[in-house]
Amino acid sequence: MLLDAPGVETAPVDVHPVDGSDQPASRGGIRDSLYRIAAIARHNLIIRRRDPGQMISYVAMPMILMLVLKPIYVRVVSGGDVQVVTGLLVMFSVFAIAIAGNSILVERHWMTWDRLRQSRASAAEMLIGKTLPIFVLMVLQQAILVIYGCLVIGIPMPRSIALVALGIVVWAFSLLAVGAALSTVARSLGELGVISDVGAMVLSSMGGALVPLSIMPGWAQAAAHVSPGYYALRMMKAAINGDTTGVLIPAAVLFTLGAVAGTYAVWRLAKGWGRTRLL
Amino acid sequence: MLEALELTKRYGSVNALDGFSLSVAAGEIVGLVGHNGAGKTTFVEIVSGLIRQDSGYISIGGKPPALSRGRIGVTPQHLGLYPSITVREHLELFGRIAGLRRAALTSAIEELAVALRLTEIMDRRTGVLSGGQQRRTQTATALVHRPSLLLLDEPTAGADLETRQAMLDVVKQRAADGTAVVYTTHYLPELTELDASIAVIRGGRIIARGNYDELAADLPGEVRLVFDDEQDLRVSTTEPTATLIDLLSKTDRNVTSVELHNPSLDDLYRSLAVSNAS
Repeated sequence: MLLDAPGVETAPVDVHPVDGSDQPASRGGIRDSLYRIAAIARHNLIIRRRDPGQMISYVAMPMILMLVLKPIYVRVVSGGDVQVVTGLLVMFSVFAIAIAGNSILVERHWMTWDRLRQSRASAAEMLIGKTLPIFVLMVLQQAILVIYGCLVIGIPMPRSIALVALGIVVWAFSLLAVGAALSTVARSLGELGVISDVGAMVLSSMGGALVPLSIMPGWAQAAAHVSPGYYALRMMKAAINGDTTGVLIPAAVLFTLGAVAGTYAVWRLAKGWGRTRLL
Repeated sequence: MLEALELTKRYGSVNALDGFSLSVAAGEIVGLVGHNGAGKTTFVEIVSGLIRQDSGYISIGGKPPALSRGRIGVTPQHLGLYPSITVREHLELFGRIAGLRRAALTSAIEELAVALRLTEIMDRRTGVLSGGQQRRTQTATALVHRPSLLLLDEPTAGADLETRQAMLDVVKQRAADGTAVVYTTHYLPELTELDASIAVIRGGRIIARGNYDELAADLPGEVRLVFDDEQDLRVSTTEPTATLIDLLSKTDRNVTSVELHNPSLDDLYRSLAVSNAS
């Protein structure tokens, strides 16, 4: 039947208005949600396991640099051994933002993110499942570097393992969230590489990861407070020294940063990109 | 199963959907045909929850799309596969997300592997598969959880004959089992094979809806007579059989062959597009 252009008569149906909100889908209980997160996490673990190069380099490179740079740091500042370990740990963990960002951005390139969005998984489940394996890798990266620092570089054994663990977890969380947020604004892997690599150098250097703050000029020391690297470095040093207060304050700053970035990432990833495409 | 009423969607100055209405019953296959840019993919994206309509109403099994995502299976027009992941791992991922566990998951995967002729490539990474194999894999990810509503957006684009036939067979089987299917395509003969009802979209709205016989009732077919001197006679007619008999009874020349063409879906689409435009 040819339909007349102006109007189509349609029988009344059970319909629902567009209410402008992205209503959460009925997706069962917490167990179902955890099952979906586990499925996505398992899947992403397989992807990471098949392409481990990036993470290997972010573990191996700081190890080599710690060995090479330790004599210089020890000569320049007191506590130079702790500085070289925590500084390079912070710098190379910031580099690892690229891993988090890449893992999400390639889903946009492969056009698989929209396929997941069409599935039963919610945006939060997708993001958690996606980033959980990377979070574990980031925690492992930092833990390996701390252990290496103790066993090879010769920093003192941390007085509180719990504080070090807290520092590592908070730092990994905020890096991951920032990486996820960056992946939603970058339009290509090259663009993400520039943002994460240059950003990592600038922020970690500003924060005193490369050159100790104590030998920087006054203005640079003041400017350091805007860098997440500064808080990460303070937190890691305090954690190794067993200073609870010294850990909690920067941890709160970094956690807040992570929460804001993570919220933005979830919102942006849930919204999708419609017909706008990557470069 | 699917009710869409007066949907509109604008991209800047372009009206992708402009009063689009369509209903699809359980077990029904609706072939959505139209030119590139007519609004087919926009409709699929709205139903699958990727984008939201500007206005209008939509219901899937009595619920809004946001509450129905587990009941929908979608094959987008473009390929969306993980190149470093195997076919089996793809099916496990989408099956698990849909809630399938252990035995049910294994059985669903094995069933689809046979139906879509994936058995021999189940443990190969999709990045090394041929285009047709990737198409079948993608379709399998949409089917693994036995959705109540299937949205297939040009699923056979660029596919070889084997791939196309495998997909059509599975789609027919799923519809016979009660799945509602929206099938967009430019390969109109596929709709005949699927015995689909046809919805023609133009300018973001449905301009015709019905089965092939209804839509083609007034379209002319063609009768062709070839004579022994190799000349031929072509007559366009809405009643090809009667016209053929009439021509044969009246001619005194020797006829060497007779061809009788009923209107094709391509003829139908062209006719509707022209009549709507005028």
